[in-house]
Amino acid sequence: MTATDVRPAPAAPAPASTAPRPRRRLRGGLPALAFLVLLCAAWQVMSALLDSVLVPGVPRIAAELVEIVVDGSFAEQLGITVLRVGLGFALAFVVAVAVGIAMGRSELARRFFEPAVLLGLTIPGLVWALLCVIWFGIELINPVAAVALSSAPALMLTIYQGTRSVDPDLLEMAHVYHFSRATRLRRLWLPALAPSLFAGARLGLSLGWKVIVLVEVFGMSSGVGYQLNNAFAAQNVAAVLAWTLLFAIVMAVLEYGVLQGLERRAGRWRKAVSV
Amino acid sequence: MSAPAATRVLLDGVGKTFVDARSGARQRVLADFSLAVEPGELVAVVGASGTGKTTLLHIVAGLVQPDAGTVDVGSPRLGVVFQQPRLLDWLPVRQNVTLALEAAGLDPAAADDALAAVGLTDYAGSYPTVLSGGQRQRVAVARAFAVEPDLVLLDEPFSALDELTARKLRLLLQELWMQRQRTGLLVTHNPLEAALLADRVIVLAGRPARIAASYRVEAERPRSPEDPNLFDLHSRIVAAL
Repeated sequence: MTATDVRPAPAAPAPASTAPRPRRRLRGGLPALAFLVLLCAAWQVMSALLDSVLVPGVPRIAAELVEIVVDGSFAEQLGITVLRVGLGFALAFVVAVAVGIAMGRSELARRFFEPAVLLGLTIPGLVWALLCVIWFGIELINPVAAVALSSAPALMLTIYQGTRSVDPDLLEMAHVYHFSRATRLRRLWLPALAPSLFAGARLGLSLGWKVIVLVEVFGMSSGVGYQLNNAFAAQNVAAVLAWTLLFAIVMAVLEYGVLQGLERRAGRWRKAVSV
Repeated sequence: MSAPAATRVLLDGVGKTFVDARSGARQRVLADFSLAVEPGELVAVVGASGTGKTTLLHIVAGLVQPDAGTVDVGSPRLGVVFQQPRLLDWLPVRQNVTLALEAAGLDPAAADDALAAVGLTDYAGSYPTVLSGGQRQRVAVARAFAVEPDLVLLDEPFSALDELTARKLRLLLQELWMQRQRTGLLVTHNPLEAALLADRVIVLAGRPARIAASYRVEAERPRSPEDPNLFDLHSRIVAAL
């Protein structure tokens, strides 16, 4: 029976080819490193030329950065902020998956939710932050609702657009074999939507980070945004920059460490293309 | 789910009209169409492209609702092989089969036997994307027969494959068919495939489609593609087309 099979060997998918070698990865990081070094140098030159307390030098910022990390306040405040963003984003994600798939499946649902999505996309995160502070005060629901409201519309749109690329043939197959709703969601919809889900997660998280800082500036007494506001009130520019930098580093770790790792995992079935 | 096939397919006065979403043009594919597939019988539906063969099969599968007439199939467990394999590319081959087994309430362990029956034991852990077209279609065949179907629907199952691979898969299908009696509907535009596999061949023509000819294939199974009797039947089907 197998005599005509073209492929000679039982295929164990080659896992090694996709993981970059350490040396290659190091070389890949060189341009990024060069940029950062150049940025620091330029900043230092500018700071020296201006000679103002409003433009602190690199050593001053670095000292502030080290202090924030060492005295433990960064870990503590970051934990608070990440929890708020995480809860808000998770809420938005679950709702957006349900609404996005419904919009892709049903014309009625699409017409119903479309104004909500368009309206949501046009409302600035600042407005959500203000409204949530007014409505919910210092409760945990304030930052969670603000993050969810500001990131859900973009997520819904991305997921809705993703549903249109799901192969209808597979839905027919799932229908004739009587796959359960849970199986369809877990084994068909979510994997088929994976590229949109990752794109949506990136977009949603970046919107969430932006709005959480605003909420914490206006209405909270803890979190990274609150610390930023404190530093601003004390005219401590070095602290403002240090908090911002640390925040950016956490974002980068999330993007490169978590999201890209998950994405690789979700896409490991894809055939490795060598051209 | 015992040995004798109990599922009967009865179509009576079925009509189906498609309306083109853009131009609004109406296409009457089936009108007052009747067909009976007896329990344990494999009926092949042959016809040129666009004669409503696939629509017919989709109506039986419950994927398309007819505008008129009655469809009496009962609620059989279906095993369907489509023209394309329709596998979940992100799941290993074995899991593609076990999902169908679980949905049918059967033991997922039967997947390995099903894959062995189509000669794909070595590929059970591979992703479908690394398989050739013929191998992928074999997985689809394994999935269709693994669920112990009451009714097997085959929608041009081998037309996307090269002739040599298609020929092998037809013989494999015959082998699987002989292991247990089932009711089946095979849609194809290949007259020889119809003559080789079916108990009865009906030829569809025109629009709306009507049964232009019907032939009973008496030859005992296993049949050989080289059988001169089959070739004779093949010629008559071609003439009717």
